[in-house]
Amino acid sequence: MTLFAVNILQAQQIDILLKGGHVIDPKNKIDEQMDVAIANGKIFQVAKDISAKNAKQLIDVSGFYVTPGIIDMHVHVFNGTDVDAYIANALTSLPPDGFTFRAGVTTVVDAGSSGWRNFRQFKKQTIDKAQTRVLAFLNIVGNGMVGRLEEQDISDMNPQQTAYMIKKLFPDIIVGIKAAHYWGDFTQVDHAVEAGKLANVPVMVDFGEHQPPNSIEALFMQHLRPGDIFTHTFSYGPTVRETVVDDSGKVKPFMFAAQKRGIIFDVGHGGGAFSWRQAVPAMQQGFQPNVISTDLHAESMNGGMKDMSNVMSKFLNMGMSLQDVILRSTWNPANVIKRTDLGNLSVGSDADIAVFNLRKGDFGFLDVRKTKLKGTQKLEAELTIRAGKIVWDLNGIGAPSWEEELQKNK
Amino acid sequence: MILYSKYYLMLLKKPFITTVAVRSVFAFLFFVPITLYAQQYDLLIKNGHVIDPKNNIDRIKDIAVANGKIAKVDNDIPAAQSKKTIDATDLYVVPGLIDIHTHVFVGSKADKFADGIYSVSPDDFSFKSGVTTVVDAGTSGWRNFPLFKEQVIDKSQTRVLAFVNIAGSGMSGKPMQEDINDMNADSAALVAKKYKDIIVGIKIGHYEGSDWTPFDKALDAANKSNTPMFVECHLPQYSLQDQLQKMRPGDIITHSYEQVSERMPVVDEQGKLRPFVLAAQKKGVLFDVGHGGAGFWFSQAVPAFQQGLAPNSFGSDLHRFSMNAGMKSMLNIMSKYMAIGMSLEDVVTRATSNPAKSIKREDLGNLSEGAVADIAVLNVQNGKFGFIDAGGNRLEGNKKLEAELTIRAGKIAWDLNGLSAQQWKQ
Repeated sequence: MTLFAVNILQAQQIDILLKGGHVIDPKNKIDEQMDVAIANGKIFQVAKDISAKNAKQLIDVSGFYVTPGIIDMHVHVFNGTDVDAYIANALTSLPPDGFTFRAGVTTVVDAGSSGWRNFRQFKKQTIDKAQTRVLAFLNIVGNGMVGRLEEQDISDMNPQQTAYMIKKLFPDIIVGIKAAHYWGDFTQVDHAVEAGKLANVPVMVDFGEHQPPNSIEALFMQHLRPGDIFTHTFSYGPTVRETVVDDSGKVKPFMFAAQKRGIIFDVGHGGGAFSWRQAVPAMQQGFQPNVISTDLHAESMNGGMKDMSNVMSKFLNMGMSLQDVILRSTWNPANVIKRTDLGNLSVGSDADIAVFNLRKGDFGFLDVRKTKLKGTQKLEAELTIRAGKIVWDLNGIGAPSWEEELQKNK
Repeated sequence: MILYSKYYLMLLKKPFITTVAVRSVFAFLFFVPITLYAQQYDLLIKNGHVIDPKNNIDRIKDIAVANGKIAKVDNDIPAAQSKKTIDATDLYVVPGLIDIHTHVFVGSKADKFADGIYSVSPDDFSFKSGVTTVVDAGTSGWRNFPLFKEQVIDKSQTRVLAFVNIAGSGMSGKPMQEDINDMNADSAALVAKKYKDIIVGIKIGHYEGSDWTPFDKALDAANKSNTPMFVECHLPQYSLQDQLQKMRPGDIITHSYEQVSERMPVVDEQGKLRPFVLAAQKKGVLFDVGHGGAGFWFSQAVPAFQQGLAPNSFGSDLHRFSMNAGMKSMLNIMSKYMAIGMSLEDVVTRATSNPAKSIKREDLGNLSEGAVADIAVLNVQNGKFGFIDAGGNRLEGNKKLEAELTIRAGKIAWDLNGLSAQQWKQ
């Protein structure tokens, strides 16, 4: 029986064999040197010393970290040409492929750029055309993020339509519901949670534009369900969003209780929502975000945020272990969006893989207030594989030498 | 009074401003006359190694910026004279880079370059690569240039210039882009003149017939608008020799080092650079890299470089299919040439003053006093690096350029490691 199994393994062709890397796969509790074999776009084998004999392509990744393809759970990618719109079908949203693979990301989740009225356009225009896997939170507002004014329209917050869109039409793409940019009371959140119950999906809340701010303790303890998500966790804008760290630098006690209750805390860095004065004390006092994400859009891409690997590096330099950083950008977000097929290197999973180089040196990291945290390490995506295909190769580790190829062809 | 109301408004708009900042603003208001006198510069970049080819500068110097312009370049400018000082020790300070071959007429049309998803948005890629000016290579034609301007050029922080396509609707796919009746030299020249601050030349490319009319019309439009002609690829019936012969001194051919079936490569099967190519270079034809997804091969570029055909400019041919491949960014292409053997000074020349000159925009690509403050601060990483060409093959190198800081019109548009920022305080 054993012999038989070995024979099957050997007969199978491996398309790509990643050899000698340090694998971090939180789901499968792997944190050591292992080889990863890919066949037919899937993870074929993860083991020590896999023979290269049957591999079509061998890539030496020794000295690098091999992780599941990174999941960025908060982005805005409904790119379009409506110059009057804000994020829906507009220039503030970005086409994903230019930002994902170079940062090790293989899956992004759009955070409510579209609502049930314009999701189909988003799908046709962006999702279906992207090489990156694009999933989405559907905005509780039917028109999504067309503009701030439109986002206040309670009559366009329809839980039934929203849930129908998710459950009946696009259950494979839409993973949750977004409530954001609302100026009023808890009405928007409550509508979103109602839709979330109907569709059995989590709700992500951006609670940032209430004047005066609404109580986040009430949000966590009374309005949201375990599994629902609070994003922009380390934002500092006390006149419009209650902060998680108080004026004396203490994490508010209910934060720990809320996390224990099952509320998910997402980074959602963005152009205005990540301050060292919130993040550093929180980390020092043992409050860690559940999920690391970027809030990628045109106003965050060239600022302190930059890309997912930069945001991950920030947490490394605040003292989070690499294993915890990877957990919070792979297996944790996969669980939060109930897509446990993603964010892991289990045999049979889609071969979405990131290979990171951990650069050492003197680095600096900006927050949205343009203050800096100095650091000594920085993640850099060497190689990104999406469904078994190399989609990013920074230094050509997967490429043959041009001179050797020239000789061969002569 | 005007100063006062401006800062007061700023305070109102930014409710979370720190007390330190508030105090300094009030201090500023109080001592306006003294402050203005003492701090005449907005930004000072100190101790960087300046490479400014146009002005023959290649040594450590300070650069002061005021009102979005280069105010002073000198050996030692006191930090006290500037509101903000950046220490660029061990870094190279160069004019903002110019990428003369991009496709940035991004839109939502499926499977299209013109107004489509095959083009990319310039700001997504420029600043992180030290680039402050991109030139679109004929993605729009004389007919749809106004849409391109409204949709992209006017909305971008990057300076976007353009070669306008002789095909009326630019790169809008077949058969439209090959319709000779839609190629009109007078219309192209008219649009080029109307938007002379943006349009820097006429492009020909993407014509699969053997009729020379499109090429001649492009040349005619270039003559009429007194601009260079930019010759792209996908002209399979035109021989390379004929193209180079018809081109005038100052015209630009791109994808210079491609090795594809539709155009004769510049280096022959024996590895020799074709004599007529060198002759064209001598005549004044400019060779642009135009890397793209298929336009740059080490098997061409390395022997060509060794035999005297260095590129005049490093056009990236940035688009959806090159961005994640061997191309990556213009800095990556520049690093490739360092690995091939070009000096850093030569690389900077070909990324700044050379392309500026070729598009007749000598106001750009230099750090002359009075010039717009488009500046790139680069670091040279040392280590083991690899570079990929369009054939998927690797060349090894030990240096790689990285953009630390990019300044566009005096404004910091990219800051990789917080060089311009203060340490946060608990």
